[in-house]
Amino acid sequence: MRPWPRSLAGRTALVLVSALTVVQVAGLTIHAFDRIGLLRLAQTRDVAMRIADIYRAVALISPERREAIMRDLDLRDGATARLEAGPPTEDLPQTPQPQRRQIAVSLGLVPVPQVDRWREMVMLGGTAEQRLVVGMHMPQGRWLNMSVPMPPPRFWYSSSFLAAFLLMTMTAGLLTLWAVRRLTDPVRTLGRAAEALGRDVNAPPLPEDGPTEVATAAAAFNLMAARIRRFVQDRTFMLTAIGHDLRTPITRLKLRVEFMEDDEMRRKMLADLDELEAMVAATLAFGRDITTDEPVTAVDLAELLRTILDEASDTNPDKASAIAYAGPDHLPVRGRPVALKRALVNLVMNALNYGAAARVTLRLPHQGTVTLLVEDEGPGIPLAELDRVFQPFHRVEPSRNNETGGMGLGLPITRNILRAHGGDVSLSNRPTGGARATVTLPV
Amino acid sequence: MQSSANLALSAAAHILVVDDDREIRELLAKFLERHGLRVTAVRDAREARRALLNGHYQMIVLDLMLPGETGLDFARWLRTEASTHSHLGIVMLTAMGEETDRIIGLELGADDYVAKPFNPRELLARIRAVLRRAADSPQPRNAGPARQWRFGGWTLDPARRRLVSPDQVEVPVTGGEYDLLLALVERANRVLTRDMLLDLLRGRQAGPFDRAIDVAISRLRRKLEDDGRHAQLIKTVRGGGYVLAAEVERL
Repeated sequence: MRPWPRSLAGRTALVLVSALTVVQVAGLTIHAFDRIGLLRLAQTRDVAMRIADIYRAVALISPERREAIMRDLDLRDGATARLEAGPPTEDLPQTPQPQRRQIAVSLGLVPVPQVDRWREMVMLGGTAEQRLVVGMHMPQGRWLNMSVPMPPPRFWYSSSFLAAFLLMTMTAGLLTLWAVRRLTDPVRTLGRAAEALGRDVNAPPLPEDGPTEVATAAAAFNLMAARIRRFVQDRTFMLTAIGHDLRTPITRLKLRVEFMEDDEMRRKMLADLDELEAMVAATLAFGRDITTDEPVTAVDLAELLRTILDEASDTNPDKASAIAYAGPDHLPVRGRPVALKRALVNLVMNALNYGAAARVTLRLPHQGTVTLLVEDEGPGIPLAELDRVFQPFHRVEPSRNNETGGMGLGLPITRNILRAHGGDVSLSNRPTGGARATVTLPV
Repeated sequence: MQSSANLALSAAAHILVVDDDREIRELLAKFLERHGLRVTAVRDAREARRALLNGHYQMIVLDLMLPGETGLDFARWLRTEASTHSHLGIVMLTAMGEETDRIIGLELGADDYVAKPFNPRELLARIRAVLRRAADSPQPRNAGPARQWRFGGWTLDPARRRLVSPDQVEVPVTGGEYDLLLALVERANRVLTRDMLLDLLRGRQAGPFDRAIDVAISRLRRKLEDDGRHAQLIKTVRGGGYVLAAEVERL
């Protein structure tokens, strides 16, 4: 896992969870220190009570029977008690004053008859030494010397506490992640919408709801999309208007040419006019989205390819032997037949015009995608040009003479059409020479 | 190689040209007259109506982009007024790229179309083809145009010029193949010789015809999944002809 996540949601969640952890640890530390003090106090009291209990039990028994009793005393947790002639002799420092006072106070609370109270008391050790030794001089002259362990207080008083703490932190973390994902959802929606707009300017607008900032961003995005749409419409309208306005003069010229006496000149002028018309048609086709007003239907892609190749060999009989189809006899796909035909004709004609051959291979659908290849036997395409040829008006030869090609709109139109179908086209060079166009289409 | 009967028919035909551009109107009239047709040229639907009252026409060449009443509306009026003008052949002049207009026009019952800017010779060929078809069509014109033809499970859609398989999959056909199939379907169960087919298709085709028809027939058989050796739909007739052997439904 990367230390710094890439997504906004991840980053926000990381910051929030880190802050939460810091606060948790600090709070827990304060709580722990507090708790240690409290635990020590309670331990001291507890120890004092035990000592008092032992003393009381011993003091209330007649001095002759004490020695026997001492052996039967139920002392827990490694505590010891002995009757000796003198005070305890352990090599421990004096118990510090605050603890002495606490113990003394606690001892005072234990009901022991006045006659039996101790005459003198020695306290050694304490919390620091993890052991408290108390010697009490009994009224009858003997010393009752006791030793009680004082283990350091347990910081984690239970393992379930740790589990609960971890569970709590994890729950908080997950909730944070969920909330952050929800809050950053509009950003993802915006990203998707921008991507959709790139593919189709008529993509539906974003809903303008949610938090203020999100609603503002969505409204701004919709406004931008509307402006782009208007710009594209204006461009389309302009191109269509030019196309329409050119129709009339071209028609007139074609009619006038029919009255020319010089047959050779007429033939040439008609060829020029046809070329002009083809250029206008290509510009119009590129300007308007020819795929939009044609309904989607089931179309036999295999037969479409064979029809295109039939027509290509009819118009180029000299190249007929270099035109071939390999693939299934029938393969229905969903698409717009006229647009698809236009897209594929461009590829086949490019292969014939620049590569002197058009060998089409149609592969059976694989994982919902059908792939077809258009291969030629020409010089191929320079590496630097492989993607640039899809830019409108870009042509591989820099000179714009029309003897070898059109306006540089064929491949852009092809790509537009195929992308509008959810497919794509790319160009590559075959290892054995020649160019290859690879077309993918969803089935 | 035009038969004398057709030549006579074309020569007698009176054409009404409707176009709003004066120069195109005049040039087109001059061009068609030079090729032996009688032409009257008017600028819009209103003038066309007046001309129809006063003259007798076989055909109208109609620009769809007209000022005032559009060409489509005028064509609709021509076809609904069944008694007086329904015999008129209609060739539409459509704007290139305006597929919708063309489809609507053909659905309304226009006989053919050329896209502007058109090649005058192509327009002439279409006009002649429509005149020929009108002369030899087995159906009376007031039966209205066929919206669809059905034969052996296949559908032929004249407005969109498409062939749809029994599985509802569109099977692409070229313009020539479509015309050939339509000629066969319109005359189902009648033997058509190569010469008859050539005559019917002359408006569309270019090139060496005899061979082209055989090639187109074999391609059509492939598309119709009709085995060439034992063809069931398009049968070869000994002595050089073809017949569409199927029950044809006109919708």
